[in-house]
Amino acid sequence: MSVQTKRRNVLRALLSVAVLAVLAPFSGLARYFYRESASQSQRQKIANVNDLKPGSYVFFSYPRTGDPKIDGDPFRQYILLMTRDGKIRAYSRVCVHLWCLPTYASDRGLLVCPCHGSIYREEDGVAIAGPASLQPYPYNALPMVKLEIDGNGDIYAVGIDGRIGLGREWRNRSPDENVVRV
Amino acid sequence: MSKEYRTFREAIDALIKWTVERLERTPFAAFKFTFPKQYISPFGYLGTLTAIVFLILGVSGAILMFYYTPSIDTAFASVREIQESVPFGFVMRQIHYHASNFMVLLAVFHLYYQYFSGRYKIKNEVLWVTGIILGILTVLEAYTGYNLILNQRAMLAINIGMGLTFSAPVLGPSIAPILMGGGYFDLIVRFYALHVFIIPLLLLLLLTVHIPRALIIDMPMILGVIGAIFVTAGMFPAELGLRFDPTKGSVEVPEWYLTSIYAFLRTGSERFWAGALLPLLFAIFFLIVPFVDKSKKLSWRDRPFFAAMGIASILMIIVTTVWGFYVDFSKLTVFEQLYVEPVIYYSSFGIITLISFFFTYRYLTKPRGRPTPAKPLVLSPRAGTAGVVITLLLVVAFSWLAVLTYLENMPNISMFNMGMSMIMLGLMLHIYRHTASAAAKT
Ligand code: FES
Repeated sequence: MSVQTKRRNVLRALLSVAVLAVLAPFSGLARYFYRESASQSQRQKIANVNDLKPGSYVFFSYPRTGDPKIDGDPFRQYILLMTRDGKIRAYSRVCVHLWCLPTYASDRGLLVCPCHGSIYREEDGVAIAGPASLQPYPYNALPMVKLEIDGNGDIYAVGIDGRIGLGREWRNRSPDENVVRV
Repeated sequence: MSKEYRTFREAIDALIKWTVERLERTPFAAFKFTFPKQYISPFGYLGTLTAIVFLILGVSGAILMFYYTPSIDTAFASVREIQESVPFGFVMRQIHYHASNFMVLLAVFHLYYQYFSGRYKIKNEVLWVTGIILGILTVLEAYTGYNLILNQRAMLAINIGMGLTFSAPVLGPSIAPILMGGGYFDLIVRFYALHVFIIPLLLLLLLTVHIPRALIIDMPMILGVIGAIFVTAGMFPAELGLRFDPTKGSVEVPEWYLTSIYAFLRTGSERFWAGALLPLLFAIFFLIVPFVDKSKKLSWRDRPFFAAMGIASILMIIVTTVWGFYVDFSKLTVFEQLYVEPVIYYSSFGIITLISFFFTYRYLTKPRGRPTPAKPLVLSPRAGTAGVVITLLLVVAFSWLAVLTYLENMPNISMFNMGMSMIMLGLMLHIYRHTASAAAKT
């Protein structure tokens, strides 16, 4: 190998290192496209157990930001409810069919979607009627909010189980696992 | 000025010459603009018409941007302002809306004409593939556009589209959040960015690869198409719809170029495989066809398999679209009205597609006896008679429809009249051109 070729090779190697050094910081660029602050889970107080009675519910937005425009987004709407037999549950309010917002019919213990009539069970959020129930597993259940209940009975939302607007893998996971007493 | 011109005309000519000589140093020199002296076939011209409608969309869309605000709480109100109180806002929105429909329609016609005449051969593979990508981008552009209104119908389309993206295998879960961001408030801004900048930019870039260097400007035809946009806007003005409200249900059917996908979803089958697989197969088929169909034959008659595929695909589009529009109002609940029985749906669609394929194939491969002697190349004076008669019948049918709507209560007379006057001007230009060239011959 002549001296010139050797020199050229060294220069080429240096050049590639330089190109890599310039490009490397951009490797995380993809993160720009996801609004991470929107998907991060936070610990947020919702209500106190003592304020709930069977069949009562509260709507809340999670994760709360304080910006009414963001907090009002359908994708951040949840419902905390106490089932008729006293269990605490919190579900996403986005129907897994076409994203309308179901309401809670406490007398029947069902969540009912106003748009095409999907009906979900209060105890596990699984669709039992309407178009959502026709969707294959796991696209037939409302996502759940993971809850923590502390000694004072304060209920905190700490995360999401499932994918909003899509569904939740509920077969091998009891809904009770999403309600932890600490 | 160093030189003196005797007449105004001389001065103008000199100015034009001066400009043209300077433009020769720019990329403009690559294009050759011709104004045809005679009637040219509209079929071969469909591509240019699509591009011209795209320009109209660019202009009208840019003007709409002055009033439109891409925000979850003001988007609908701003469109309503454009539609109801801004002077000429109604006209602008109608032009934009109907031109988008025309663009999709013209692009589809263009695709099929080129497909059946085998234009993807003879070194046109790159043109063909860019054309397919342009077509896909056109639909995406139209899709992102009509979602910006944020009415019930737009939300339905957003939900369908996002649901499909989310459920796409492998890439879906990581692509969908890019479009969604943190929720609807992000989605609307991102769709806006895609609609007014990113996709049009891609379209323009691809267009530079796709358009021929010899550009034909056929004014009568162009005026005819623009006029037709106005006339349709006059007869069927786009409405505002209802503001999106996730707590209320309504029976909505999405834009016509999406109803075929919608039909699949309404059968309740698994989202991605039902809703996205077929369009995907479509796109892939058209993308690879130039590399599969290697015969030297151009005419569809000599390519029975591909002609049959083409016919079958058209029928498939028609059947699924019709199903998509089908709403059974005799049923009580919204869900039942929209539900499509999968067995009936899939069998009707499968049978019609198969039958049309089979019959076209049989028809084209049937031995045709003695080959008919080649026709002499001289066109007889009656060569175009059938075409003229059909055109006239269509014109009569259309005017009849127009008169009926007119009598009932024309929703938007002024745009109808504007369109009609454009068509008339186009017709006059054509007659003028025709007589001028006839006079030049004698
Ligand atoms: S959106 Fe809930 S049933 Fe359709």
